[in-house]
Amino acid sequence: MILSMTDVIKRYRALTALDHLTLNLQKGEALGLLGPNGAGKTTAIRVLTGLTGADTGEIKLFGKEFSGKNNSDSMAIRKRIGLVPQDLALYETLSARENLEYFGKLYGVHGAELKKRVDAALEVLGLTDVAKKSPKKFSGGMKRRLNIGCAVIHKPELLILDEPTVGIDPQSRNHILDFVSEINKQGTTVLYTSHYMEEVERVCSRVCIMDAGRVIADGSVEEIAKSAIFEESITLEVKDPAPSLPESIKKIQGVVRCEVKNRAVTITSTAGSGNLPRIIEVASPFVILGVSAKRATLEDAFLALTGKSLRDGGEAS
Amino acid sequence: MKSFLAVFTTATKYCWRDLTSVAVLIAFPIMLILVLGNALAGFISPTYDFEPLPVSASVEAGGNLETFLQSGESSQFMEINFTTRENAEELVQSGEVYVAIIEEDGEVTVIRARNSGMNAMIPISIIDSYKQIGAAMTIAMTSGGDFTELAGLIGAELSVTAAPLGNRVQSAIDYYAVTMLVMILLFTGLNGLELFKKSMFSETGARVLTSPVSKPVLVGGLLAAATVTSYVQGLITFFFTMFVYGVYWGENIPLVLLTLFAVTLFSQAFAIVVLLLCKSPNAAMGVMQALIWVMTFVAGGYVKIDFGAAQEIFRYSPNSLAHTIIFGSAFGGNETRMMNDLALLFIYVAVLFVIAFILGKRRLTK
Repeated sequence: MILSMTDVIKRYRALTALDHLTLNLQKGEALGLLGPNGAGKTTAIRVLTGLTGADTGEIKLFGKEFSGKNNSDSMAIRKRIGLVPQDLALYETLSARENLEYFGKLYGVHGAELKKRVDAALEVLGLTDVAKKSPKKFSGGMKRRLNIGCAVIHKPELLILDEPTVGIDPQSRNHILDFVSEINKQGTTVLYTSHYMEEVERVCSRVCIMDAGRVIADGSVEEIAKSAIFEESITLEVKDPAPSLPESIKKIQGVVRCEVKNRAVTITSTAGSGNLPRIIEVASPFVILGVSAKRATLEDAFLALTGKSLRDGGEAS
Repeated sequence: MKSFLAVFTTATKYCWRDLTSVAVLIAFPIMLILVLGNALAGFISPTYDFEPLPVSASVEAGGNLETFLQSGESSQFMEINFTTRENAEELVQSGEVYVAIIEEDGEVTVIRARNSGMNAMIPISIIDSYKQIGAAMTIAMTSGGDFTELAGLIGAELSVTAAPLGNRVQSAIDYYAVTMLVMILLFTGLNGLELFKKSMFSETGARVLTSPVSKPVLVGGLLAAATVTSYVQGLITFFFTMFVYGVYWGENIPLVLLTLFAVTLFSQAFAIVVLLLCKSPNAAMGVMQALIWVMTFVAGGYVKIDFGAAQEIFRYSPNSLAHTIIFGSAFGGNETRMMNDLALLFIYVAVLFVIAFILGKRRLTK
């Protein structure tokens, strides 16, 4: 086990940011941590990296208890972690190369090895041509790439990324996602928080959904999508639907709404795809021209589980 | 050691590449010392090269005022066009002269030209001194006293000198170089504060703090970088004023440099304490700026403060201590007092570091 948080509580005065949080991460895994604003994702990362202490609970990294204090055990653990903070964490008056060199040195990489790693990182991140330039002159995507480069220059065993693609263009986002997937394939364990479902689905093999400081769902993307109770939309195309049809469909358990517009009969159900045979059976006296159902996504699951939309943290309508 | 050097070298580079603060800490004081030192040098420096100011005068022929104005020291400061009243007024209205001096029925009036600025102040001061002598004579006469000595002052050489200190006479530029450099060195704490904010209390700081570098090494590296950068910037100003402006810093240069180093250290230690006491780095910046201005002014460097007992307390502001040591060293001050003041400055630094250590331990291990 690379990471294990058990019953961790962290309070900021009246606010309980982490409420008995329990989270595990196996070696080589890529775990996506999802949650609306204020769910406790960033606090969990701060506690994991020793930036803030937990009030109670146990935190183990690489099998050893991690207190975040200035002792040799904590320092040895820190050396094996790379952090990509939510905002850019660079020195703007230093060049891209100098930024990479500095963070490499802080993690004990020096001399020829450092130069080799910096050159390689610049190459992989597509920043070789601008290595001597200040990040002030970079585009948002370039800055984000350098931000990640500074976290991996010491080849960490655990890479923690806190929303690393905020505010960048699709091309740079793809570059970053490919890069994270690649280093995960090479054996680096990844903890990835994001507001973008598609990113988590693309990079992570497992997802934890957090809300109010706790994990409320944990599993693969498919498992979470299936386990969640959410509203599914099924549309039947029916030739000459009679007014009695929607009334009959509404009697099926789990159907919330049924609306008819021309040939389209749109059914909203909370019972999952298992309702489809029953709906077709009820509609069978009519000529059914087509059937379509919207597949459950992680985003649907998230909305169903937390009652909140992911990106703005507001209540789902 | 490698981590310390990495923090120190990178932080030093970061500071030096911030061209705005480098300009503020080097170019700004150098310029201000030149402007202030030369604008006011004529009043207190006997070596100041002064061009006489054009003045018109309508005075009683052969009278005391004419004698006074024709005397050597008066004419050194003023190039006087003795003329009729109408012409004198016309000249001042047209701006051809800075001041018109009109004497009529024993009354002396000075008319200053529009936009004459500081230039009018010199003739006005000279006429004022003439009037003061006249008033003193009147008092002596009405009280039946002997005024022969006072009468002799009319037309006497005008004496404008500064009080000598040791073997040298202090000039305005000497004064401003010392006070300005001490003040600027105190302001370098803001640069240190900015560096600490960036490296420990920002997103970049979060990344640095999660690295395996211990906090004492990190703080030590940042402090060394901020202190060395600030001190070197101070030294540039120091040597520039010494060799380009000819500022007299005395014979005991090591003592002056040690004092400047103590002020730099004080400023950095003070910045750390303020940062650790304030909730946010931005609030710390504001508090720090306000406190430096207060320290500068209570030191009496630019505005003379005389609040009796409070003045004694103000003497112990870091600026005031540094002024005492440097001026004392250059112009023959009391050596015991200078040494005590230097020791006191280092005690301040030590106390601030102890406070910073206690506060840092509480705040950074939360």
